[in-house]
Amino acid sequence: MKERILQTLRALNAYAVEKGYEVVIFFHEEDSYLMRFANSAVSLNTNEHLIRLEATAYEGRKRATYEMITDLNQIEAMKQGIDFAAEMVHHAMPLSYDPTIPTLKADFIDENGYDAELAKLSNEERLAYFNQVSRNLETEDLKLGGIFSNGTNILAQINTKSEYAQYFKTSDSQVTAVLSHQKLKWEVIAEQSAQKKTDLDPEKLNRDLTFLIEHYQNDAPQQLPLASYDIVFGHAATAEMVRFMNWIGFNGGLMKRGYSFLTEEEIGQKILSEKITLKDDPTILETFPQKQDFMGIDRNPYPLFMDGVFQGFIWNQDDADEFGAEPTGHTVMHNSLVLEGGEQEIDSLQDLVKQPREKDILYIPYLHYMNIVNPSQGLITGSSRFGSLLLKADGSVVVPYNVRLTQSLLEIFGEKVAWLSNKTIPYNVSNSYGARNPIALIVPKFIRVNDLEISHANDSY
Amino acid sequence: MIEKIQQEITRLKGLGATYVDTRWYPLEEQNYLLMWNGNLKTTASSRESGVGIRVLYKGAWGFSASSDLSNLSALYEKAFDNARIAAERVTFPVRLAEKDEIQAQFESPCQINPFDISLADKVEFLRTMDEKLNQEGVEQRISNLNFMRKKIVFLDSEGSQIEKLITEVFSSLQVTGRDADGDSHERKFNLGRQGESRGWESIDMNIFSENAERIVKELNQVLVADNCPKDDRSVILLPGIMYLQTHETIGHALELDRILGYELAYAGGSFVTLDDFGKLRYGSEKLTARADATLPNSPGSFGYDDDGIPAKDIILIDKGILVGAITGRQMVEEANARARKRIFQESGGANRATTFYRVPIERMTNINIDPGDDGTLDDIVADTEKGIILDGDRSWSIGSNREQFHFGEEIGWLVENGEITDVVKNPTHKGNTVKFWNSLSAVGNESTWQVKYVDNCGKGQPNQIMQLGHGVPACRFDNVRIGE
Ligand SMILES: [Zn+2]
Repeated sequence: MKERILQTLRALNAYAVEKGYEVVIFFHEEDSYLMRFANSAVSLNTNEHLIRLEATAYEGRKRATYEMITDLNQIEAMKQGIDFAAEMVHHAMPLSYDPTIPTLKADFIDENGYDAELAKLSNEERLAYFNQVSRNLETEDLKLGGIFSNGTNILAQINTKSEYAQYFKTSDSQVTAVLSHQKLKWEVIAEQSAQKKTDLDPEKLNRDLTFLIEHYQNDAPQQLPLASYDIVFGHAATAEMVRFMNWIGFNGGLMKRGYSFLTEEEIGQKILSEKITLKDDPTILETFPQKQDFMGIDRNPYPLFMDGVFQGFIWNQDDADEFGAEPTGHTVMHNSLVLEGGEQEIDSLQDLVKQPREKDILYIPYLHYMNIVNPSQGLITGSSRFGSLLLKADGSVVVPYNVRLTQSLLEIFGEKVAWLSNKTIPYNVSNSYGARNPIALIVPKFIRVNDLEISHANDSY
Repeated sequence: MIEKIQQEITRLKGLGATYVDTRWYPLEEQNYLLMWNGNLKTTASSRESGVGIRVLYKGAWGFSASSDLSNLSALYEKAFDNARIAAERVTFPVRLAEKDEIQAQFESPCQINPFDISLADKVEFLRTMDEKLNQEGVEQRISNLNFMRKKIVFLDSEGSQIEKLITEVFSSLQVTGRDADGDSHERKFNLGRQGESRGWESIDMNIFSENAERIVKELNQVLVADNCPKDDRSVILLPGIMYLQTHETIGHALELDRILGYELAYAGGSFVTLDDFGKLRYGSEKLTARADATLPNSPGSFGYDDDGIPAKDIILIDKGILVGAITGRQMVEEANARARKRIFQESGGANRATTFYRVPIERMTNINIDPGDDGTLDDIVADTEKGIILDGDRSWSIGSNREQFHFGEEIGWLVENGEITDVVKNPTHKGNTVKFWNSLSAVGNESTWQVKYVDNCGKGQPNQIMQLGHGVPACRFDNVRIGE
């Protein structure tokens, strides 16, 4: 398949060269499988095999893009697509800067992130996995939901500056299992991100759900008083907050446009807790990385915060062109963010609950529907969901109704950080709005942040 | 092609499928242009075509889709096989509410096909707008045009055949600037319903010019304004935020699949239960809300849904009492069976998929609030002792059962003793859904009612982005927490 894709791209590129076009041709192929569960049944079982071809034509400072869904048999239609982009670009308006077209110096082929076993899981295997996850857990009131998503993603690129091409092939899987109470309306969750088949561990999800259900079924829920709490965030909540930092934090282009809580003057300054070290690390396969960006820049670990000190912004090529910065190898589908673990010896929620504590701890595994209230201040808001617990100082455990947190990321990852767990975990944040684009972050399993105020406490689920 | 589809549908019925449908998209086009600070950053066109096949077998759904139509039979077999496996884990076998066999065509109102307009004309429009937005105080100016056109042929095993041609036009202007502290603020204009059709004719230079001037002026007022106080006040929501309040805390909360738990693992559920229909006081007596897919000229009006049900106008909340939901064929049957009574008489015609390779799910049509009899905006302000007028969506975050919310707006105007006093920056409001709607104390008349378009409502897994509308008046709610 690889050879056929590359041959097709080379033929299209040769066609564009012959026509005198300046074009970047981008290829995306996905083979996606999704089994969705709700109310303890398979509510949807689907698969899509889609090939997208995108041609971006350049003419001096002008550029225009044409995208089509196609298949490899339709070479004439693809050529027409390239013609169309070349025609469009005549009528575009020049940019105020010179856009850079990548000059690839050699072929770059990366299939290390592909595991055929994971990509080719059968319907029967997906169903068996979920049956194992939910073993002995479903009841009349307690229903299973979730997804088993897996697939193959191929990205390839060629352009008229050379005959060289890039080709990336990955496999990925995202599993979410939720048990929800029909009448009481609470939900608990267990999730897994997989890059290869051996990453899949349904027994772990079964154990996690069993533990949470014990508390949720037996303990009466409470509305928490509005106050400050020492909060332990689970990995899903942490990953979501780091993802927002990726958006309104260290992105150079967005900073220049006023959508960041960081400034250029802050480079080299201590902005976050010294316990926070955050990198973009494409060497870690579990993040579904791109080891070379679309400009042909090799990607290596890139520090963002070292012991709380801000190391600098990341720049994709277009922003770098516009704002006169150096591109940093971040013209990619997504970054490979890794928040390093700390020193707290803790591996599981069971460990956390068992640990002695001097004060009450609010455990928030997941933050639902997070949004930015004020980007300049890093102010975000979101609600807890999926199995929060109030771990009382006396060792008992209370089940709280959901709460809302409206806080600055500077505060959350600032001096109030008490500890990070030594163990980290890949957390899959893919949402596949349009084309499949698997994304995972590596984050500590738990982070404790003291003295954070909650802004709203529900009186029901 | 149609004959081939019909043959395949018949073949799967022969294999034991109880229902089969196919959405064939001969062509779906999009043209998107984005100008940012005078730079035409994006000039993009796309074309797609393909089929999506839905098969019901032993009470379970299977779906498959492809753009490659060279082996149609294999695609149908894949969908059937997906249903066969899903049938191994069924708790409530899918049944579909009765419907009529329909042969029909629908075309959304469009006088000038935007795909016939030259790129040069579209670029010129954006360039003109960019110039108008390029004023003192404005640091970032963004304008865009987004055109969609799709042809859909729907065929099902119950004998229906429906052809639709839908054209969408979305456009917005946005300016941002920084206050003395260096904090960013923004002000936007989103094109809503203008007149009776939405082709290129809705890109009306006069309307855009007026609004460009207005948002620049208002941004500059925000840049020198004080922060919104933390307070409990009456809030008067203008349509520019009222639409989103309606969307998030009525629309999504009343999707029947959410109520029945089909989105619990991701998008969330709803505080509403089946017992609540006909009983729950959702809002004050001034609140009447409807899902009206018959409203002319809106993305929420599409003729026939993807179950083949004709557009309907359904009352959701009648003078404050919850009476209806956003429904499709499958969910009404399941809801009635679970409730052991006939809450829903038939499908509400709201099952839609964003494109051929996604499966239809309950989506909002036009979720509207009826205009009231509390007069004009001036009348409402004059009648408000201590309040704040809010406009422009800046941030929204809603609890997973839609039970509580937090919204941030672009601009606020304080109201003291019936008069507008100061502009404030960083306004927010929050609350509990039911308590909030029950505090509705004034509903503006027709003069305040506007239809806002939404082009980016996300739901489902894999995720689907949908287009819809909201016709809403200016409304006042009492004793609401602001500034948090
Ligand atoms: Zn929405």
